[in-house]
Amino acid sequence: MSKTVTRTRLAAVAAAATLVALAGCSSSAPSDKASAASCTPAKGKVTLQYWNTVPGMDKVVDLWNKKNPDIQVQTKNISNDQYGTLGNALKAGKAPDLAQVGYDELPALRTQNAFVDASACSAATAAKSKFVPWTWSQTSFGGTGVFALPQDTGPMALYVRSDIFKKYDIAIPTTWDEYAAAAQKLHKADPSLDITFFDPNNAEWFNGLLWQNSAQMYSYSGDKWHVTVASDQSKQVADYWQKLIAGKLVRTDLANGSTQMYAAYQKDQIASYVGAAWGYSMFRDNLPKQSGKWSIVPMPTWGANGSSGDWGGSTVAFMKGSTHLYESVKFNTWLNSDPEALALENQLGGLYPAADAGLKLPALSKGVPYYNNEKVFDVFADSSRKIDTNFAWGPTQKTVNLALQDAMAKAAAGDGTLTDALSAAQAAALKSMKAQAIPATAGK
Amino acid sequence: MSNPSTIRESRGSRAAVMALMFLLAIYFLLPVYFLIVAATKPQGELATTNGLAFSHFNLFENLRILFTRSDGIFGRWALNTVIYAVLGAAVGTLISALCGYALAKFRFRGREFLFSVVLGGVLVPTTALALPLFLLFSATGIVNTYLAVFLPSIVSPFGVYLARIFANAAVPQELIESARLDGAGEFRTFFSVSSRLMTPALVTIFLFQFVAIWNNFFLPMVMLQKESLFPITLGLYEWNGQTARAPLLQESVITGSLVSIVPVIIVFILLQRFWRTGLAAGSLK
Repeated sequence: MSKTVTRTRLAAVAAAATLVALAGCSSSAPSDKASAASCTPAKGKVTLQYWNTVPGMDKVVDLWNKKNPDIQVQTKNISNDQYGTLGNALKAGKAPDLAQVGYDELPALRTQNAFVDASACSAATAAKSKFVPWTWSQTSFGGTGVFALPQDTGPMALYVRSDIFKKYDIAIPTTWDEYAAAAQKLHKADPSLDITFFDPNNAEWFNGLLWQNSAQMYSYSGDKWHVTVASDQSKQVADYWQKLIAGKLVRTDLANGSTQMYAAYQKDQIASYVGAAWGYSMFRDNLPKQSGKWSIVPMPTWGANGSSGDWGGSTVAFMKGSTHLYESVKFNTWLNSDPEALALENQLGGLYPAADAGLKLPALSKGVPYYNNEKVFDVFADSSRKIDTNFAWGPTQKTVNLALQDAMAKAAAGDGTLTDALSAAQAAALKSMKAQAIPATAGK
Repeated sequence: MSNPSTIRESRGSRAAVMALMFLLAIYFLLPVYFLIVAATKPQGELATTNGLAFSHFNLFENLRILFTRSDGIFGRWALNTVIYAVLGAAVGTLISALCGYALAKFRFRGREFLFSVVLGGVLVPTTALALPLFLLFSATGIVNTYLAVFLPSIVSPFGVYLARIFANAAVPQELIESARLDGAGEFRTFFSVSSRLMTPALVTIFLFQFVAIWNNFFLPMVMLQKESLFPITLGLYEWNGQTARAPLLQESVITGSLVSIVPVIIVFILLQRFWRTGLAAGSLK
């Protein structure tokens, strides 16, 4: 009992101190001030805990540990139940100092008060210039603090079987209209050939498509959330894919990354793939016989809107309860912006960096043999810079994704449409926010 | 009044039984066959060729990659599994044998009650105990060490049960009396006389424990965080979780699975004779 009292008092003192320190220069929302921490270096040796799902991350951390004897980092791989493990640790008050969190999970965990605001550390706020703009706007929640640093991203692009397009004399599409026309031509030329597949169980992918069309799923103003999952921009994307599904121009029976998907590509049944940067190794490693047949080109665009979308990627978040914020910021900044660290993460973990310095890595400037020695990473780097910075995730993204997937699976089976799926997801988001007492309204 | 012809089955029913056995054998062996086939393929042919047909033979390259990946961590996991399984089963067998023997051959107050408690232990699945054990161990501070997996592994209520039953049947009281008359202490009697007679049961207990520890997954998952302490099962599980980011890991998970079942098969074949005797003895009494 006395322990609790002491801790509360300590927290109050710390919070008061921070308030004094921040007075006059802070514009963060009131709720964040309680979690803002002070940024004083520890005396002596410090050991940080860092949980992640990146293959080979222990090697990257070894590199850091060798150079920084006073700030030792221990890693734990939580690939098999990332958010479950993290959630349990938070409940038990045993969260690590730093943890990998996907961009789309940040708002939900923030609502649960899982993060600490690192903006007390000048090094954290100064890191802004090191990262691709949209990533920073998401980790800082539109500039209200520094809750995480961006680690990797999944800028989207179009993977095309250039040999098939050439064979049927079809130009590689640059807009979604051209893409639909190409779908028709391919299907006419060979009825067993489809331009791509629509994975009804992959809301994350579909969100990337919505994002590209500047569809705002959420916004936050006047102390409440405005849910706009079923906006006009979203509906435009949904209608487009609905037409392709109804016209039987895309397959709906394949799951991304599944054995069946690779088998269909291997049998030349599908001519393109709307994918992200991290997918380049999936094709290279699972379809070696198609080496030289694939190209990567910019994602088809929506007319005048030249933006691109993002699918996946993660941040390294500052977790509540960490007592070594100064050291965490130091390590986190190095981990996600130092060229040597980024090169190793890219090589071992396949991470496509969120840092500008990372986009210029030697490994990402070379031609890739599998893709005809094309400089495919130039395409992704370009895509990365064209991603809409206004897009924001909401605190109930998981609910939205599940509702979307449910209804998308129905639409793929001919029951309802993808627009219905958007409405269902919108309703689910509002309901879930209401249940959690998060103020929200339906926006337009 | 038995007529030999009613015992000998008819040719028809014999054929039917054989057919059923054959089908079951296929049913049980198909996954193993798939594993063998898949382990010989390079990653690029896993998804793109028929899963049940051999294609490009790449087993040796797969093995090389498996054992060199991440500084040879798989070899470490294999060694850990051997340590947990062999040592755990050996110590577990010794404890079970001593305990079962004592329950069978010594008369003391509360003996039957004690035996009932041990029997009750057979009914509690080890999975259900993993979490309480974790809390216990984290209070004592041995979570995330070899001991955290080793200590629970040496306990086997079923082993105690089997040892008692077998000691009752196989070790005549007169033999123990005469050993005592010759001046042997209780431990000497046990190790030089009784344990020899109990060998089939001991092998059975050892095998049971060995296989159970070898395949144990949940306990190490709960207890261990350090990769260098993992047994194979947990290591492969961790790799499998990363295949989305590193596709080439998939082939290593498959090859690793094949490698991990080889020792169990070898132990089974070598000790099969004892295994059968011991099992039959346990079931009859």
